[in-house]
Amino acid sequence: MTRKRRFVVGAALLVGAVTYLVYAGVRETSVYYLTLEEFLPKRDSLQGEGVRIAGRVRTGSVDKTTTSAGTELRFVLGDFNKDDGVPVHYTGILPDMFAEGRDVIVEGKYMHDGVLRAQTIMTSCPSKYEAEAAKPNGAPPSAG
Amino acid sequence: MEVGALALTIGLVCAAYSVAMSLAGGFLRRRDWVASAEHAAYATWGLTLIAVAWLLNALVSHDFNMEYVASYSSTTLPWNYTVTALWGGQQGSLLFWLLILTSVTAVVLLQNRERNRDLMPYVTAVLMTTSVFFLVLLNFVTPPFQRLAFTPAEGRDLNPLLQNYWMQIHPPSLYIGFVSCAVPFAFGIAALVTGKLGDVWIRTTRRWTLFAWFFLSLGNLFGAEWAYLVLGWGGYWAWDPVENAAFMPWLTCTAFLHSVMIQEKKNMLKVWNMVLVILTFLLTIFGTFLTRSGVISSVHSFTQSGLGPFFIGFLAIAAVISLALLLWRLPQLKSENELDSLVSRESTFLFNNLVLVGIAFAVFWGTVFPVLSEWVRGVKITVGPPFFNKVNAPLGLILLFLTGVGPLIAWRRAGWQSVRRNLVPPFAVGFASGVVLLAAGMRSYWGLISFPTAVFVLAGIVMEYYRGVRARQAVIGENPLVALVHLIGKNRRRYGGYIIHIGVVMMFAAITGTSVFKQEQQVTLSTSQTFAIGGYTLRYDGIEQESTPHIAYLRAKITVLQGDKVVDVLKPEKRFYKKPEQPTTEVAIRSTLGADLYLVLGSFDDATQLATFLAYVNPLVSFLWWGGVVIALGTVITMLPGGVTARETAMAAGRFGDRVVVE
Repeated sequence: MTRKRRFVVGAALLVGAVTYLVYAGVRETSVYYLTLEEFLPKRDSLQGEGVRIAGRVRTGSVDKTTTSAGTELRFVLGDFNKDDGVPVHYTGILPDMFAEGRDVIVEGKYMHDGVLRAQTIMTSCPSKYEAEAAKPNGAPPSAG
Repeated sequence: MEVGALALTIGLVCAAYSVAMSLAGGFLRRRDWVASAEHAAYATWGLTLIAVAWLLNALVSHDFNMEYVASYSSTTLPWNYTVTALWGGQQGSLLFWLLILTSVTAVVLLQNRERNRDLMPYVTAVLMTTSVFFLVLLNFVTPPFQRLAFTPAEGRDLNPLLQNYWMQIHPPSLYIGFVSCAVPFAFGIAALVTGKLGDVWIRTTRRWTLFAWFFLSLGNLFGAEWAYLVLGWGGYWAWDPVENAAFMPWLTCTAFLHSVMIQEKKNMLKVWNMVLVILTFLLTIFGTFLTRSGVISSVHSFTQSGLGPFFIGFLAIAAVISLALLLWRLPQLKSENELDSLVSRESTFLFNNLVLVGIAFAVFWGTVFPVLSEWVRGVKITVGPPFFNKVNAPLGLILLFLTGVGPLIAWRRAGWQSVRRNLVPPFAVGFASGVVLLAAGMRSYWGLISFPTAVFVLAGIVMEYYRGVRARQAVIGENPLVALVHLIGKNRRRYGGYIIHIGVVMMFAAITGTSVFKQEQQVTLSTSQTFAIGGYTLRYDGIEQESTPHIAYLRAKITVLQGDKVVDVLKPEKRFYKKPEQPTTEVAIRSTLGADLYLVLGSFDDATQLATFLAYVNPLVSFLWWGGVVIALGTVITMLPGGVTARETAMAAGRFGDRVVVE
């Protein structure tokens, strides 16, 4: 019986380790995942937090400057028919599919000055193109 | 008349008939009914072939009146991608899944015409039920043969990201792996239903399990290669839900491959093996569900669709039935033996199983966490790559260590004497390598743990080979090379397995290299400016442009120098696909055995003529691909047909004095 007990103890230790790693991992690395509509009403309580927000790049809001120091990008995450939105600030390489009017997921930290400082910008790549086809002037290809 | 759609409808009827007749024939012991069910299964296969041929023909002949063809191909798409567009979209990929499933079913039926007649009715029923599920989807939820009201002059083309060599072979490999997992599952269920719970079902499906594992491994690796070359972020694995979907069944399948050995040798772990085989099957369906339903948002989530509830339903039914059968047979599944000692191969395998399932659990938890947290707390909380890396790095290292210990430790009970003889030498070599790395200036904890552990595993394998060869030389007097070939040939499972372990070690080295020692730099340059990374100096020599009817190219020219010597010229690209209008990034890589220099053209600003580049140095990444080649080689060796089992069983009997099942 002791042999069995010793094995059970070993297994319990392993299971405990996995549980702890998962628990600690979730606590340290989790971020809130919100759509823009969910985010806007509770944005004040999320200042200083890591967030991941799904929204749309407002048409006409993209301001990109390239200097020898790198590319700096500012845009507003928000629907074009509503006034409210979140200013986003990002330095880095843009995903290929990034363009005004596109659905994007922005991950970063929501700063106390009300700006979302993005670490990652993701665009989901649709395998169907009905939406683009319906819009006669989809995003023109540009170098960047 | 849409022949393909008609074939799918008749196929559904055949498949449903096959399920009903095989079950009825099995329970009532009517051989003629079972035979009829098997004929219906072959018919389903033939009908699926017709449907696939119909869709392929539409693709190749550019029949843009068919919605699928218009959505996923165009006249300018190269012919090879026109063919692979078969699985480029939702409907087509489900049809392709069905094609592989029905083909696998047909092969299983052919193999077992004269064998396992008591199990076969239920095997047929399980496999054909899965076919029914996919046929229901193809007939009622996502029919592939929809016609448009008009005929567009041109198709919308295949997603440019999928127009890549690795994307031609990644989905088929993965699907073959997924589908083949259904075979051991079907035999396991048949064993539960009939109560023939010995290891016949395991021996029958051993090669299928290896076959599934082989393709799951390759599929994952091809996907990683694709991500590395196409997604342009310098890495190959992002813990994206779609990647996790393919990784989880691989983990449980790996666990199963190891734990069946204990059932074969010791008649233990019967329940555990059943659980693993059921879990693996459910995870393959869950994986297809994750990829196809878009339930969890993913960077490359391809689809949003109404498939979700169907998959959840099928998963729930499969899980409940499997579990009920397992509980019903629980009393008969009791172990005939007990674990002899904590220091034994059995217990190492058990711990290896626990770690593999632990990793699978962690990956599962992290993947579904957004959904779970929304249910429980009402907020969506997501975990990203840091979570998976944090959890899996220590678990992976434990696994690597056990990979080294397992083969070296005796079955049943390893005495101190044998532990010292077998474990101390490789352990000393591993430790010495750690000291060397430390002296060479390595200060990373992860590196100092991972590399020596890898060396330890490798040293153990080399020692095993060396001893085997020496024994043959001494007894038979063969020369070393002949002895090596015969050693592998006479015990393919064992020595092929060791080769797989070598591949695994190489991959661990690559993963450690790329995750701990990666260098990354972002620069914005004007023409003829330079920057340095990883011992290279890179000079930006301007932009060139080119246009074809299919794609417009923007190509940067970067000269790579080591000292003053030009060693390479890299040309990272931006591509602008013309329909659909979509830019993509084409990375340029200078690959050497030691490290990859990986270069991305981030953006090019017309006004200022400034180009932004991302450069990465990925140490040891080539070992990932070569490790994959080694794994494939090892798996092929273990799968080769031939007189492995007879000799092995005899040897096992002689060596361990265990109860042996003679086939």
